[in-house]
Amino acid sequence: MEAAADGTGRPRPSTGRLSWGLPFGRARRRSGLSPSSRLLPTPRRPQVKARAAAGVAEDADSQRTAFLLRKQWSLYSVTPLYRFSEAHLRDYSRLLSAFIAAEKKKGLAVEIGGELDIKVAVTSLPDLKGSDRDQAAILVQLSSRSSASPKNSEEKLVWSGWFCCVAGDELSENLPEAFTCLPLFLVNGAESYTAIVGTWFQKTFDCCFRRLSLSPFNLSWMAAMWTGCKVEKPASATELVFSVPRLPHPLHISYAINLEDAQALWDTVQKTPGEITQEEVDVFMDCLYSHFYRHFKIHLSATKLVKVSTAVASAHCDGIIKFRQSQYLTGVLMLLTELAICQIQ
Amino acid sequence: MDETVAEYIRRTVLKIPRDEIKTMLQKWGFLSETQLQTINFHQMKDNISQDVVQCCEDHSASIKQAAVLDIIYNHSYPNKRMWSVYQMNKTEEETDFFDLTDFRKKFKRHLRSALKNVTINFREYENNAIWIRIAWGTPYTKPNQYKTSYVVYHSQTPHAFISPSVLKSNLPLLCQALVVASNYQDIHEMELRSHSLNSLEDMVFKRYSQNFETYCPRPLQESTVAQESAGLRIVQENINEKERIQRVNRDTFGDGPQPKLEFAEYKLETMFTSDPKLEVLDKKEPFRCMVKFHSPHLLESLKSLAPAGMADAPLSPLLTCIPHKARNYFKIREKKGFFPGSFVSP
Repeated sequence: MEAAADGTGRPRPSTGRLSWGLPFGRARRRSGLSPSSRLLPTPRRPQVKARAAAGVAEDADSQRTAFLLRKQWSLYSVTPLYRFSEAHLRDYSRLLSAFIAAEKKKGLAVEIGGELDIKVAVTSLPDLKGSDRDQAAILVQLSSRSSASPKNSEEKLVWSGWFCCVAGDELSENLPEAFTCLPLFLVNGAESYTAIVGTWFQKTFDCCFRRLSLSPFNLSWMAAMWTGCKVEKPASATELVFSVPRLPHPLHISYAINLEDAQALWDTVQKTPGEITQEEVDVFMDCLYSHFYRHFKIHLSATKLVKVSTAVASAHCDGIIKFRQSQYLTGVLMLLTELAICQIQ
Repeated sequence: MDETVAEYIRRTVLKIPRDEIKTMLQKWGFLSETQLQTINFHQMKDNISQDVVQCCEDHSASIKQAAVLDIIYNHSYPNKRMWSVYQMNKTEEETDFFDLTDFRKKFKRHLRSALKNVTINFREYENNAIWIRIAWGTPYTKPNQYKTSYVVYHSQTPHAFISPSVLKSNLPLLCQALVVASNYQDIHEMELRSHSLNSLEDMVFKRYSQNFETYCPRPLQESTVAQESAGLRIVQENINEKERIQRVNRDTFGDGPQPKLEFAEYKLETMFTSDPKLEVLDKKEPFRCMVKFHSPHLLESLKSLAPAGMADAPLSPLLTCIPHKARNYFKIREKKGFFPGSFVSP
């Protein structure tokens, strides 16, 4: 057990498992759940703003977050940011912009075209958080514009990255004032930009980025949890992808279950009201594995689960996520925040 | 020479690996040996192709001649295309004597009666395999030489291997032309698809080494076995199991190399069954799943699963039947009235 990096001197348990071994000997989590369970994901109702009185029901939530859907996001865990302030986002845009320009001059940013000007926008996404105790999500966007004719050319979004925290109490409640808790970072765009932006944040806020990989254990949870989410038809199947790399000829197995049938199975497995337990996830997966074994005599449990794809979201073991339903966005982020925090601790 | 023909020849040459260009041009036979001597085959491919086109200019190559080069290329590198397998049938028992000229005439006539703008080329290879290249046009446009369909028809068999172009609407016409030209009555697609044309042929014509039932007396156990210590006996146990797996694998897969397939697809519509103690799903309706296996060499990969400890030996017949059933697309339903462990695949 290492001493906490936040300087409180309190040792934090390093939990290899996902279920929380809570500090201070608390047997149950704040939400009252047993250590190896999670809340049942519920769809978020779209917020109807006061302007609805004018007769127009605004689904402001979904509009703002629509750009997050159906894109591939690479996942990182981020240690708390030191002396980060939401009031200074404009300054950060300016500073990061200057940093990128300097890197370009140094010739370090090889992929960035010589004729492109990079414009940086750092904004906040106030609706992307779990509770008011969470820090609102921070979005960083890099757009390019041809420096040859800046007035005429269009701005093109080339890179997006956003920090977020959904139900991150576990980490944030123990932090001193000077620190901001935004443990999850999602990136879409070229690796070279990610490296530059990451370097700037690390230097400026003394934080540390680490790739967040998803183990078969995590992926099984996602498969079970997300299968249980009610979605509109037509909905895509629940697909599990397994890899057997160490054979003389590598093998990939895709096992897709019709969503209605998978949900029917899950409904008979998931018995605890309001929460999902480890045991339920295990039974669900075992059922799917036995059904497969019955047909093919192959033990899927001996292979590596590398990808899970559902109507709600898809996740890949390399730490890549794709959100498919805006109503479950926060739910998925909550799970990912938890995994990020686990990796940090 | 037509500019489009020149460009087509240039692009075809560019596809060929540099070391093979000279051989392929020799097979083509359109350019003389003297002309080939004038080309430097060690320069960049871009330049080689320009030189080849220049030489072709001297002889005014037509599109039909250029098409032959394309056939030769595809015959050497068939794995760049995806092939489906078709089987034709007819009610009469007699096999007519196959006349290539007659076949070609009927095939061309049938296609041209429906579509004026087509380029059709034939080339006969060993094993009575006839390669047919078709470039499709429309009533108003010339044939698109870059969107071709290929047919490999084995004239002594009812089988044809078709690699359709992206213009799938021409496929029914193509099938009809085949049926008419070969004097069959109808044609249907088999549930078998792969990039490896050779493997498809192996499977369809049963040219891979199959498992035959042979009487093979096992050697008697040596009496020294009983004298080994407990530790050695445990190791022996594993060795026995390993040997059993190898034996079973040989029995199910045969001894020789497996045909090369890249994937197998199973549409499952069987019932979900489980231990009643679990109290889970007990529906009377099928549990619908789609299972796909992918590998650079699927059958060898499946064969290695049991020795690696990831599967039972023998492997399920659903997998081991792939070569001799010659299919890699399956729809599996529950066999009615039998023990639930058995399946029927239509």
